[in-house]
Order: sequence, then structure tokens, then C-alpha cells
Amino acid sequence: MKTLSQVIWLAGILVEFVILARAIQCKMFGKYSIFYSYVASVLGVSVFLYAAPQPLYNALYWPLDFVTMVLGCGVIVEISRHVFAQHISLDRFARWTAIVVFGSMFLVFAIHSFFFPHWKPAANPADLARDLRIAEAIALLTIVFLTGYYRIEIGKNMKGMILGFGVYVGTSIIMLTLRLFIGIRFSPIWKITEPSSYVAALIIWAVALWSYAPVPVVPAPPPDTDYQGLAGRTRRALGSIEEHLDRTP
Amino acid sequence: MIQLIISLVVGLALAVSLYFFARRVKPSAEGSAQQLREARQTLDSLQFGLLPNDLVQRIFAREDLEYVLSAAPPDVQSLFLKDRKNIALAWVRRVRSAVLDLMRFHRGHARLHAQLSFSTESRLALNFARLLTACRLLQIALYLRGPYAAPGMVRTAAAAAGRVCLISENSLAFLNVKGIDPAENDPARHRA
Repeated sequence: MKTLSQVIWLAGILVEFVILARAIQCKMFGKYSIFYSYVASVLGVSVFLYAAPQPLYNALYWPLDFVTMVLGCGVIVEISRHVFAQHISLDRFARWTAIVVFGSMFLVFAIHSFFFPHWKPAANPADLARDLRIAEAIALLTIVFLTGYYRIEIGKNMKGMILGFGVYVGTSIIMLTLRLFIGIRFSPIWKITEPSSYVAALIIWAVALWSYAPVPVVPAPPPDTDYQGLAGRTRRALGSIEEHLDRTP
Repeated sequence: MIQLIISLVVGLALAVSLYFFARRVKPSAEGSAQQLREARQTLDSLQFGLLPNDLVQRIFAREDLEYVLSAAPPDVQSLFLKDRKNIALAWVRRVRSAVLDLMRFHRGHARLHAQLSFSTESRLALNFARLLTACRLLQIALYLRGPYAAPGMVRTAAAAAGRVCLISENSLAFLNVKGIDPAENDPARHRA
């Protein structure tokens, strides 16, 4: 089991190197700066933890995980910025959702700390990690929903970034929850699935970000479009539906 | 236990939405001209494709029922009710598909605009959903109890349609604002 865990860990480090090398080669670092900073920070943490002795590993695993998790929130902001680059209102909404979700989570922590002085989030890092992942998942769900609802076309890079991040966040939530409820018996499975899902995300990112593919430009409405006429016809159409339903018993 | 359920629901919702996200078909690349042509066709079909109102009134006419109940033998009565039920169900299906067409039109059109009023959009989405739900419930009621058993339901659907109408008017008001700088909607100005 330990060998398998180490193989997954090393595979992750290797794929992270590939992603970063490719980003430098294709000059994409500046285009997705937060994302690549996130990958670089995870790489740094992974290498550090791999080389760290066990007591240091145990002491630093969760604090370093929180640092990368906060950077992960930044990745969501970057995804929203790119996906809704031509849809300012939607970008604003996605950001507000993220702010509200993260804000409420931190508010709950603050209330807990205020009313229960003995309660320490550091004592239950997996709890905190799971809640942060849930907040990330809600923000991601908002982006996925809005792109689907308005049929917004997104490029290969963004699609891969969302898919990879979603796979990792989704697996983390389920695994952290099961770990909290099943307890120590679940730890061996968690130790394999958690890094495996991250390696899966890294592979998705490596494929999707192999070359730069910007978000397609939304076609501009043709200059001869009579918007007022269209708006009026929509109103009349809605009116006819209403009339239809209204005139029935 | 509640925490467990919430976490698992969020995790599974993410998994399901990512599955559909990955399978999502690329929107048509033919451009907005094609979309607007389709939108116009949709509106035409909505305006002229629905049944005339007197015909709809005829579907639910109580006097027909009363006449058949008083004058026709039982097998004709049951045949009459069966036919009216099928016609009423077909009518609700038609209205529902009209609402869906209109919703598609609105979304396809709204996405071309950088500035949307989010509160209006969400209210509109909610009302579309309410109207679609009302149509679905009406279908169930008609299926289970026949065409003369759900007048209240029809009134609810009508009220929801009224709200959709009003909010859609507000939603599309920004299209009527004159003097908007056309470059504001030029995607080339936005960063990719």
C-alpha cells in the first residue's frame, strides 16, 4: 500500500513538472497565472512533504494543504474571469456566489470560535478542509450551470481546467466526508484515492492545457438586427401563451 | 448525519454536472445570424402556431360535456371523455413546448449581451420553471382526472404565464435603450 501511495505521489510530481514545463514552453504562464501558481505551489509542497521526515510531515500536512486550497479558490476566480470574459454580469454573479459561500463558511467558523472557546478548527483540519472543498464545489457548480444555461462556448483550456478541478474537488468532498464518518478504518483508502484523484486532475490539465486555446469570441449580433422588433414579438408571443391559458376554464 | 448528507449531495451533484458538462455538445458555430433566424422562426411559430382561442375554449367547454352526459349512451360518453382528454393533453404539450421554445430563444439571445440584469434573469428563469411545472402538473391532472377536473390548475398556470410575460418585458427592456455604444457589445473589446 505504501509503495502504491509513493508511486501515485511521484506520478503527480512528474505530471506537475510536465504541466509547468509546457506552460513555460508555450508562454501560457501569464495567461493563466493563478492556475500555474497553484500547480507550482502544489508541486513545491509535494516535493517538500515527500522529502520531509514523518514528524514534520504530520505537523505540516494540513497547514500546507490549506495554503494550496486557498490558492485553489483563486483558480476558481480565474476560471470565472476567463469563461465569462464576454459576459460581465455572469462573471459578477459567479464571483458573488463564491464570496457569499466562502463568507458564510468563515462566518460559521467565527461564530463557532466566539461561542465555543474550546472549539479549535486546527483540531479538526479535515472538517475545515471538507467545508472549504464544499465552498469550492458550489462555486464550480455555479460556473458549470451558467455556462450550460446560456450555452456559453468555452475553450479547451477552460473546459479541462473545470473538469480537472471538479474531479479533484468532488472526490475530495466524498472521501473527506466518508473519512470523517467511518473514521480511522477509512484512512488507507483515503490515502490512495485523494492523491489518485489529484493525479487524474493533473492528467486532464496536462491534456487540456497542452496548447493555448482561448475562450471563443461570442458572435456579435448582425448590424441589421431589429432588437426592438424582436423584443416586441417576444412580448406578443408571451402574451399569446398567457391568453391561451387564461381563456380556458 | 445532516453534514454527511449535505457533503454527499454536493459531491454527487458536482459529479453529475461534470458528466453532463463533459458531454455537452459544442454550440452552433454558425454565428448569431443563424441564431436570430431561428429565434424569429420560434417567435413566428409561437404567434401563429398555437391553436385559436375559441378552439381551446371548445376543448374545455362544459356545455359539450353536459350535452353528451344528458343525450348520449355510456359508451359514447366514455369515448367523448377519452377524446377530450387526449386533445387537452395535446394542447398542454403544445403550450409547454411553446414555453420551452421561448425560453430557448431568450437564453440564446441574452447570451449575446455582455450586460444582463441578473435579478431579472433569475426571476425570469424562476417563472419559466414555475410555468413549466404548472404545465407538467396540468398534464398529470388531465391524465388522471380528465379535461374537466383541473380548472384551478389552469388558472395557476395562467397566473404564472402572466408573471413571465411581465418580467420578460422588463428583461428585454435593455434592448430598447437607445444610444448604447455599439462597441460596448463588441466582443473584440473583451479579453479572451
